[in-house]
Amino acid sequence: MTVDRLLDFAVTINPGFYLIIAALLVAVAKDAFTRAVALIGGPGLALFAMLYPPVSGADVSRELFVGFELSLYRPDSLSLIFGLGFVLAAALGGVYSLHRRDRLQDAAGLVYAGAALGAIFAGDLITLVMFAELATLASALLVFAARTGPAYRAGMRFLTIQIIAGLLLTAGVALYGVEKGTFLIAELGGLWNGLVIGIIDPGSTGGMLILAGVGIKAAFPLVHNWLTDAYPNTTETGAVVLSPYTTTMAVYLLARFFAGYEPLIWIGAAMTIYPVFFAVMENDLRKVLAYSTNNQIGFMVCAVGIGSTLSINGAAAHAVAHIVFKGLLFMTMGAIQLRLGTTKASELGGLHRTMPWTALACLVGAASISALPFFAGYTSKTMIMTAAESGPGLFVVWLMLLFASAGVLEHSGIKVPFMAFFSHDSGKRPEEAPFNMLLAMGLSSGLCLIIGLYPGWFYELLPFRDQAQEFLVQDLFSISHILQQLQLLTFAVLAFMVLWWFRVYPPERPGVIIDVEWVWRKAGPMVGRALTRPLRAGGRIVSALTSSAIAGIQSASRQVFAAEGVVSRKFPLSATAILALCILGVVMLISLFQ
Amino acid sequence: MNEEKPTPTPNQKPQLGEAGEHPLSVLLFSWMRSKLAFRIFMAVLAALGAVLIGLEVVFSHRPVTSIVTVPGFFGIFGFVAFAIAVLSGWPLGKLLRRPEDYYETRSGEAGRDR
Repeated sequence: MTVDRLLDFAVTINPGFYLIIAALLVAVAKDAFTRAVALIGGPGLALFAMLYPPVSGADVSRELFVGFELSLYRPDSLSLIFGLGFVLAAALGGVYSLHRRDRLQDAAGLVYAGAALGAIFAGDLITLVMFAELATLASALLVFAARTGPAYRAGMRFLTIQIIAGLLLTAGVALYGVEKGTFLIAELGGLWNGLVIGIIDPGSTGGMLILAGVGIKAAFPLVHNWLTDAYPNTTETGAVVLSPYTTTMAVYLLARFFAGYEPLIWIGAAMTIYPVFFAVMENDLRKVLAYSTNNQIGFMVCAVGIGSTLSINGAAAHAVAHIVFKGLLFMTMGAIQLRLGTTKASELGGLHRTMPWTALACLVGAASISALPFFAGYTSKTMIMTAAESGPGLFVVWLMLLFASAGVLEHSGIKVPFMAFFSHDSGKRPEEAPFNMLLAMGLSSGLCLIIGLYPGWFYELLPFRDQAQEFLVQDLFSISHILQQLQLLTFAVLAFMVLWWFRVYPPERPGVIIDVEWVWRKAGPMVGRALTRPLRAGGRIVSALTSSAIAGIQSASRQVFAAEGVVSRKFPLSATAILALCILGVVMLISLFQ
Repeated sequence: MNEEKPTPTPNQKPQLGEAGEHPLSVLLFSWMRSKLAFRIFMAVLAALGAVLIGLEVVFSHRPVTSIVTVPGFFGIFGFVAFAIAVLSGWPLGKLLRRPEDYYETRSGEAGRDR
């Protein structure tokens, strides 16, 4: 009975707390076994709590905290599918990190995962903001964990931008909650097809601030560089742990708060396009994957903006599938980073000779992200593409997404595996990745195939289950869909081979590609220097004057007080007596007038 | 000194791939290394593309109402989109690529202001 009561209690706790408790255990673990249990058991417990919630679509409990009614745990089908992705990512990230004992990274990674998980299961805006801020701090620690100069600077930039996003989110939540008289998500808006989504009015000041904060976390255009700046500067495990949470949490928040908000369609479509061009030029393959993340999040944002049951299902499914296959691609690059200390394409090539398992995993990830039929990406992206194709007035958007699909194949489907493992022989013969890394890559590859080959169970978990099942039966594996996708991919690969054959494929060259970050990394300091030039010139003059004055005083003092100075000379006794009388007179005068 | 290659005895199997190469790499990827394989793969892809368009003509019963419904649209779109994405790398690279330490120096060129 006690066990039953314990289990009943365990499922009433927000699953994010299990990961945070596991982080504490990891931080104090003295042996490898305890550490491994915490790294993998924490996500396991969270998964158990998530799959057996006491209620769904309602607050599990409500608490009063300094006068505010809070709901720490509110599970529903939208949070469940995102939660599943986060728990999978935490467990796979744990396995991937086993070879390296670093308390900071282990604990920060679990706190980050737990906070992100807590945020998506939060039933009120205050709890959500608290968890989101905790996630920000933990993620910044992961960037700093590389302990190098560039990582420190990237971490500071990352933290600054994330704090700005957090402040916007907090201010927006405060304004919106006060305006509506409640912070409880369930009371902010009504049900739409049985789900509480699209509940915040982006026209209000609070709503606008929330959208801005979430937009930065989703890496909207012009504020996307925190992502491409931070991820490549982390350790080999850091990027794997960083990649699933912040942007995916932002997609969840967009779906929960702003589903069907039309500008998101265009923002998302733009997000799918421009990273394609940057990824083509980029030399660092981890940065290519960061741009690729930006591109894939664009598909989800666009789907959220469309706001149909099919597109919301597509966004949720793609979020989880993306966590798996992007994590896998980052894992393969992490293995190269571990063995060679670099992921720059210009220094790689021919690594398949000694790292064939990693190469194979990379190819599975590449096939998945390119949406090759029967791989994970196809299962999820087809929903988004179909929603855009069938949406009224969305032809241009659909064409943009189609272009981006070919672009994805270019940078993540071909460039990453080809430049790292095939291409020209760099002469490098690194050792294959450690066993735990290979295990994590194998599990991720298996998941990519299971989701792609047997999508039924996956579709069962989507927010709108009936519509998902209908799509599975009628559309997903229809001949026309499969043929269209195969045509797109086959001819795109053919284009690659033709361009490579005629040597017009741009060679990988060392260098950095300037992006919007140029504004604050280069132009900002330049303008600052130009504006402060008069002040600095004035400062130099004042400094010169002060120095000469001090030198004068020093010289005069030396003349007066030195061994041969004025005060060292011998004076007659009468003169000394007169001087003493004068001083006494002055003192008496002062005391008289006081 | 002129070193001769040891000739394999009848019991010794000749080594595949290069020394130290993983057997899985030999099994899965060694075929890729010849130029002929590249040509053959390209030809196979072109043939596969043609077959896919043929299959679309046979199995798709959609009437041709717009450019999107023309058989082969997705293939041609994929080819052109991919080529545009890749070829844009030349001018954009010239415009936007800077030295590795661009952000670490004031002028963007190491040695000039350090």
